[in-house]
Amino acid sequence: MTPEALVAESVRKIYRQRNGPTVDALVGVSLRVARGERVALLGRNGAGKTTFLKIASTLLTPTSGTVSVFGHEVQTEADIVRSTIAVVPQEGKPFFHLTPREQVYTYLRARGFDRSTAKSRTEEALGQMELGEVADRLNITLSGGQRQRTMVATVIATEAPLLFLDEPTIGMDPFARRGVWESMRRLTRKGSTILLTTHYLDEAEALSERLYIIERGRVLVDGTAAGLKEEVGGTLRVSIRGGQELAETFASFGSLVREPEALHIITTPERLVEVMGVAIRMRLTATIGPVTLEEAFLKVVGRSIDAEN
Amino acid sequence: MALPGIRPKAFRGLVAFAETEFRVQLHEEAAILTSMVVQVVLLIFVSILAPALLGVALVGAIVFSFFALGQRVLNEAAFIRVDHKLNELYLSSPLAPEAYFFGMSLGVLFAYLAPIVVVVVVAEYVVHFTLVTGLVIFGCATAVWLFSCSLGYFVSTLFRDMRAIWPWASLLYNLFGVLPPVFYPITSAPTGIRWISLFLPPSAATALINETITPTNLTGLEPAIAAASLTIEAALAFTLAIYWSRHSVREG
Repeated sequence: MTPEALVAESVRKIYRQRNGPTVDALVGVSLRVARGERVALLGRNGAGKTTFLKIASTLLTPTSGTVSVFGHEVQTEADIVRSTIAVVPQEGKPFFHLTPREQVYTYLRARGFDRSTAKSRTEEALGQMELGEVADRLNITLSGGQRQRTMVATVIATEAPLLFLDEPTIGMDPFARRGVWESMRRLTRKGSTILLTTHYLDEAEALSERLYIIERGRVLVDGTAAGLKEEVGGTLRVSIRGGQELAETFASFGSLVREPEALHIITTPERLVEVMGVAIRMRLTATIGPVTLEEAFLKVVGRSIDAEN
Repeated sequence: MALPGIRPKAFRGLVAFAETEFRVQLHEEAAILTSMVVQVVLLIFVSILAPALLGVALVGAIVFSFFALGQRVLNEAAFIRVDHKLNELYLSSPLAPEAYFFGMSLGVLFAYLAPIVVVVVVAEYVVHFTLVTGLVIFGCATAVWLFSCSLGYFVSTLFRDMRAIWPWASLLYNLFGVLPPVFYPITSAPTGIRWISLFLPPSAATALINETITPTNLTGLEPAIAAASLTIEAALAFTLAIYWSRHSVREG
């Protein structure tokens, strides 16, 4: 039994447009996801995340390279792969003229579950996504967040060995997002593996054990949220309101992130007292917080963009 | 965790997906009710302008109703793929791609069957079908439905925008279903159109059914040509759709 749920080797995808330039969506992406892992795929819009998920979920042909799921090639053994995966598509919507209960139940039936299992799994998934109150209303009458929860419920009810979730919590409120996170953790405790994409970096940090950052079709980072944050040169952020013109003053305390309304100093706990001392002496409004994954992401991807340009 | 290593059969999940589509369609009562608008309007025209041809027009309405189901399949398949992206949910699952296409066609058929049955009952009341006519209607309707759904599914995969699909759907279904002698007798069609209509499934089917009622419509080899073209075209279209459903799972 292969230890990896997913192995991708040098995956390349070139979109050839009829009346336009060719687009290199993926340029040799290699990655591995172990069984039972929760891994996030991060990147800017158009970085290649969805293209990769589509290839891995048998819905797109790569130009070159290989992807295998539990040791089965997605290209040549698609039928076997499909019986081991479930996908929340990006911007997917449930059938407008089904109810959430019907949506989940009929999907499970189409996957081959017997009536009794489909029924019990449906109720469990609806409960986890807190859709009980709207379970018998047509999807067309639900809010965007409720429809998205229905899509997630449809997929988590399968308890498939490998789940691909393309921006699964888009449009959800913070409570619903946390409900999805808990369901993801529950699924991996049961043995499932999860590969998700998201633009919510707090979600990636809370949910994933490892992450990959893809930039312009290449893997830029393979690591953990903590490791990535260490790369930015500190674990604390001091934000000074309107401190743009003070950049030189604070440059020696750590790396700087300039924003129109504030200056952020990424620094270490050891140098925090010095930074705050300067801020207090200059009567500046300063707030302290931990460095977020978002700041680390901006820094790392920003560095890559600068290097390319 | 044991991994299921069995290759899915060609129609795995067919009944379940047909049930899904049936439920989806049933919630659209207005669409089911209005599916008879074209047929009823044309029947009213015929009953006013040429009451003697009402029987022929009723047979045409039956055939057209089965033919129009393909347009529903086209719209549904395109809507699921283009607007809902739900095809990704289903086609990346153990549901066989063939079952996805054929289950959708069956679900639409069963949901829209009630108004068609009403037309059949009215036609029987007006025309008084024999057993042979009844059997020919069944065979021809099945062939027309298979052809039409297959065509609809195939066309639905060719576009990425619903607005690009609508004009083509309208053109296809008017060109095949309204223009040729479906609602009017083949004997009234000009010679050129008469020959072409023997090769178009809806008009070939109508001609064959009418031949069992008034056996003077078709001459010489025409019944054989109509029957052969209807059968071959339905079989070819269905085979293409079954092949295409698997072939088109993957983009580019």
